[in-house]
Amino acid sequence: MMGNTMYQIRLYIVDATKSSTKAVQELEALLEDKLKGQYSLKIIDVLTEPELAEADKILATPTVIKTAPAPETRIIGDLSDSEKVLAGLGLEEPS
Amino acid sequence: MSKRILVIDDESVVRRSFVLALENSGYLVDTASSGEMGIERMEGTKYDLIFLDLNMPGLNGVETLRELRERDKDVPVYIQTAFHAAFADQLRQAAEDGMDFEILKKPLSLRQIADITKEILEEAKITE
Repeated sequence: MMGNTMYQIRLYIVDATKSSTKAVQELEALLEDKLKGQYSLKIIDVLTEPELAEADKILATPTVIKTAPAPETRIIGDLSDSEKVLAGLGLEEPS
Repeated sequence: MSKRILVIDDESVVRRSFVLALENSGYLVDTASSGEMGIERMEGTKYDLIFLDLNMPGLNGVETLRELRERDKDVPVYIQTAFHAAFADQLRQAAEDGMDFEILKKPLSLRQIADITKEILEEAKITE
C-alpha cells in the first residue's frame, strides 16, 4: 500500500517514434497497476519543449523523473523492465 | 560476448571521449568520422548500440540514420545533439517518417557517457 502519497512523474521522450510510444505505454500501464489514482504523469517531447529538458538536465531519452515524494529519482533508457522502473520510483515490492 | 558500440562523429575529440570513457567498460568501441564511414562499418558487423552525431559534413545524422535503418531496423541509435529548437525540425521529420531513434545530449562528460551507456546496454541485456 502506498497510502495517500501523490506521485509526480515526468517522462521525457522523442514524440512519434516507435520506441517512445512503447515507453509511454509501458509506464502508463505500470502506474495504473501500482499507483492508480495516486499519480500525475506529464509527458514531454524534448523536440517541442527543449527548454524543459534543459531545465531538468535531461541527458538522454527516454528519461523518467519522479519529483515527489522526495527524493527525486531518475530512470534512463528502456522502461520494459518493470522491476527496475519500480525500484527507480521507490516502489520496490517486498521479496 | 562483449557488446559492440559504434560512435559516428566528425569531431575527433568526441570520438576519443567515447573511447576513453568506455575503455574499461568491457564494451568494444568502433569509431567512424563520417556517416559514410559509419555505414561501411555496419557492413558485416552487428552493433548493439550506435551513437550518431546530428551535424556532420557529407551525410548528416538524419541522412545517416536513414541508411543505418535500411541495414538494421532494431539497433538502438542515439542521435547526439544539443537540446535546441533549431535542430528539432529535421529530427521530427525523421520520427514522422517512421525512423526509430533516441536523443543524447551533447556535450557529455566522460562519466556521463560511461553511466548512460551502461544503463542502456544493461537494460538491453535484461530484455533479451
